[in-house]
Amino acid sequence: MYKIMMFEGGVYKFNELKELIEDIGGFILQESVMQSETMLHIAFPEEEERTIRNKIKDLGGKFTKLPLAGTEIIIVAPSLGKHHAVNPMCDIAEFLRREGAITNMMGLARGVGKRIAQITAEEKKIINEFDAAVFVFGDFKDCIEEKKKLCDQIEVPYLIVGGPPDLELDHYVGGIGRKTDRMRRKGEIDTLKTMTAELGKILDEKRLEVEEDPLAASPPFIEEMIEMFIPPKAGEELPVIIQLDGLRINIEEEDVGRIKDVEVGKKKLSEICELKKSLFKGYLLKIKTEAEVGGIY
Amino acid sequence: MEVKVEGGDDFANASYTTICQDTFRDLGVRASIDRVYLYVDPKDHVFIISVKIGRVSSPVKVDDITRQETEERYRITNEKYAPKLLALLWDKYGERAQQLSRLEITLKIDEKEIDDLKALIVYDPREDLVTRILDGMDRILPEGARVRCPISLPNRITIIASENTITEDWKKKAEEMVRMQEGVSEDV
Repeated sequence: MYKIMMFEGGVYKFNELKELIEDIGGFILQESVMQSETMLHIAFPEEEERTIRNKIKDLGGKFTKLPLAGTEIIIVAPSLGKHHAVNPMCDIAEFLRREGAITNMMGLARGVGKRIAQITAEEKKIINEFDAAVFVFGDFKDCIEEKKKLCDQIEVPYLIVGGPPDLELDHYVGGIGRKTDRMRRKGEIDTLKTMTAELGKILDEKRLEVEEDPLAASPPFIEEMIEMFIPPKAGEELPVIIQLDGLRINIEEEDVGRIKDVEVGKKKLSEICELKKSLFKGYLLKIKTEAEVGGIY
Repeated sequence: MEVKVEGGDDFANASYTTICQDTFRDLGVRASIDRVYLYVDPKDHVFIISVKIGRVSSPVKVDDITRQETEERYRITNEKYAPKLLALLWDKYGERAQQLSRLEITLKIDEKEIDDLKALIVYDPREDLVTRILDGMDRILPEGARVRCPISLPNRITIIASENTITEDWKKKAEEMVRMQEGVSEDV
């Protein structure tokens, strides 16, 4: 199983670190170099953590855990109107991104109100494409309790974020509610940290499930294979997004046929993955389990 | 501006007090509002908002926002009103008014016309005050409460909002509540 961590440091002998990661069979998921500052999201085999830590000790820099790395999360608000967006949705998304997640946002078509709140079948399908969902609800206890019915229909793990701090609901974090400005006060930042920790716990449960029945190949490995075959276009951001049990790939329609023939070990991609068009963006690759298709070597 | 929120739990009341203050501040009508009363009943999904209009600032005249530099040349001292000022001058003087740069204008007018020019009203806050307050109320009231019913009382704008049909009972109750607020505030 791969562990994903973030390295922040200078450019001094930075290439040596990148080479080491490749040598031990790790991957660079994200890289950004800003003048003399560098930031790397690295996926590497868990047992090799010591080797990387030793190298970083030589180079100097920060090496931090990313509890939400390798996941794609959707933030769902009752609407995209000024009542719900952009605060606090953006603060929540930013905090999730700081912990390594890739985030997306969505406003429901008819999610407002208490009795009249609804979720459409298509919205449910879109949410189910992600690893987890965060529902951002308002200030009122009665409304949140009533609106929970929207979340119950979702198959992926979810977290409800709302106002009242003392609501007894599963996977609920209170203290946020409706906002008119950025959450930058200490108390608010602590609430956001609690929220990310809670989501981390939910995702760990899902991770454990995936580990119990291992995938034929890990998502970062498949990402590397795909990028070798279809190099990312200039200026394109995140052409391949890693999920816990699959990938989202943003490719042109004419490349779909080609991508099925990408070789992953001794097997073809179409043999170990299910490819379907996403309702949201690009194509989704769901990796089959090793038990189902056998090893790739 | 005084804000009073009732009916919800402590968190909701505190949160809506901030929302009221921030929304009216964003719209620039805080100074023109005396009191805001918000009653929330999430159980029945009824929200009552009532705003008491206070003193409105006086109209902005050409003299307040420009400075004469030479005989024909004027400088805009408050850029916020520049589009309204230019529209007004072009409308009144046509090609005699020209914009030289961002804040400079030339006006070819007789000396007799200068006094008239200075007294021209560029913007009267009274004009769109009610519209702006209504916009603010719309931003404050929950988005789901789309059924609206206004209650007319002098110097006040009151709206009942709900996602259900608003009953006569609620209309009466709202009027009583608002009148009570009026009574309380007058005693103060």
